[in-house]
Amino acid sequence: MSVFNHSNLSGGNAPDPDYKWTYEYYDDDEPVSFEGLKAHRYSIVIGFWVGLAVFVIFMFFVLTLLTKTGAPHPEGAEPCKKRVRLTSCVEDLRPPADPDNRPCLHRPLLDSSLSRSLFHCYVNEEQAQEGSRPRAGTPRGGLVQGPGRGRSGSPEEGGMEVGVTRALQGAAMLGGNRTDHREAMSLSHFNIPNVVNSEHCSTLGADDLLLGEPPIIMEGECHWPHSAHHMMD
Amino acid sequence: MNDVSALPSNHTDCQVVKVPHLVFLVLGMVSLSENLLVVVAVVRNKNLHSPMYMFICSLATFNTISSLSKTWETLMMEFSDVGQLDSRGDSVRRVDDIIDALLCMSFIGCICSFLAIAVDRYVTIFHALRYHNIMTTRRAAAALAGIWALCGVAGAVMVAFCDATVIKIFFIVLFLISLLLILFLYVHMFLLARSHARKIAALPGSAMPHRSLRGALTLTMLFGVFVVCWAPFFLHLLLLMVCVENPYCECYRSLFQLNLVLLMSHAVVDPAIYAFRSAELRNTFRKMLFCSDSPLCYKVKALFH
Repeated sequence: MSVFNHSNLSGGNAPDPDYKWTYEYYDDDEPVSFEGLKAHRYSIVIGFWVGLAVFVIFMFFVLTLLTKTGAPHPEGAEPCKKRVRLTSCVEDLRPPADPDNRPCLHRPLLDSSLSRSLFHCYVNEEQAQEGSRPRAGTPRGGLVQGPGRGRSGSPEEGGMEVGVTRALQGAAMLGGNRTDHREAMSLSHFNIPNVVNSEHCSTLGADDLLLGEPPIIMEGECHWPHSAHHMMD
Repeated sequence: MNDVSALPSNHTDCQVVKVPHLVFLVLGMVSLSENLLVVVAVVRNKNLHSPMYMFICSLATFNTISSLSKTWETLMMEFSDVGQLDSRGDSVRRVDDIIDALLCMSFIGCICSFLAIAVDRYVTIFHALRYHNIMTTRRAAAALAGIWALCGVAGAVMVAFCDATVIKIFFIVLFLISLLLILFLYVHMFLLARSHARKIAALPGSAMPHRSLRGALTLTMLFGVFVVCWAPFFLHLLLLMVCVENPYCECYRSLFQLNLVLLMSHAVVDPAIYAFRSAELRNTFRKMLFCSDSPLCYKVKALFH
């Protein structure tokens, strides 16, 4: 950044008549003595950069150590509620090995097998609840329903709900990007509206904001809702 | 300048390190093209009109403004060195003030945009079910309008009163608060991710620690790049206020142009760590750069397939 210097009036003196405007980066006129320096003259520079490097590396190691050792950490209220629902399902999961990745659903930090498993878990829970409390026409799965939204909403809303689903999935590290036949079938139980279209894939952006890996490259459109759509036709 | 001190000025020890104007020009051009691309992509693609992309677009706009003004200033300095421009002219001074105001505005705007992006991500993770109620497009637009207004005013005020120490203190305090907030938000998000990772690790045969490592790497990169690029400049400001006569500080301040280069390189790196991570945006780039959606393009494609 450039600075225009002009002479300052020192207290009590007559104004300097021949001041000039110079276009320079910083003030050269201050006398600084370099005599008798005890340490190296660039010591602040070196100390600053070394400190910065140490800080960044230290932060990285702390973060990796946290992931490995799993130090206990008090969670916020909402994640706690979500976790309580999850723990009942978590134990009996069998994450299958599935090498290929489907586009459109972004993979967050965690293994995506959990996403499918937890997805099935929710399906099972909802079906169990359904047995005791028959609900007609309401969307199944607390994941899909936002507060105050019914199924009779516009297609766009339905798409947004799916987007919320995906945001939640991503946010709760559940993002599944391996859709397969079973998952598509279980999706049909959720009665997702037929008009989910690729427009609402933009809400998937919420997934890839995560600290995890970059999202799987989408080849233009969302395949997940289309597969579900296909299954329900 | 009236020399009140009788100390001999000896500037041979810590000479000002001058960075060639070409470096600034190249950095400015690269940063300008990248960020302009991001802005155009977000504006053109209707899928990207969501709060998250609006914040990213705002960040890219601020980066564009900063690279534009820095490039313009470099050009003016180049002309002034060559002798084409009278650096004492009134109009030149006014133009320089405008450039400085734009630079200040874009710096503050960048910091505020980082904060906005971090808050948006935080809301996505911790209030995921209510995200679309909390972070509506209207609220995001209002937040952006507020940020832009604040930055415009702050830029103008800072240049108008640039000699006052208060301005520098304000800048530094803003930077530190933003740094701490961003750190807190991202670490909190990361800890939630880690706890979920632990749950998965508890399952049979599914522990994949390298994913969490990647999260740590991403977070370190995000935060590390921010700190590495911005902190030297702010330390310079701090040292300008705190120790004016100290030779050590003088030696640090002699590297001012290198710190500026770092600041500008942050504008170059920013799209890579924020915007280009999104697949939708990458697809939009591909469509924009390699082929538009014109009928001619399809014919050309058909020719080759």
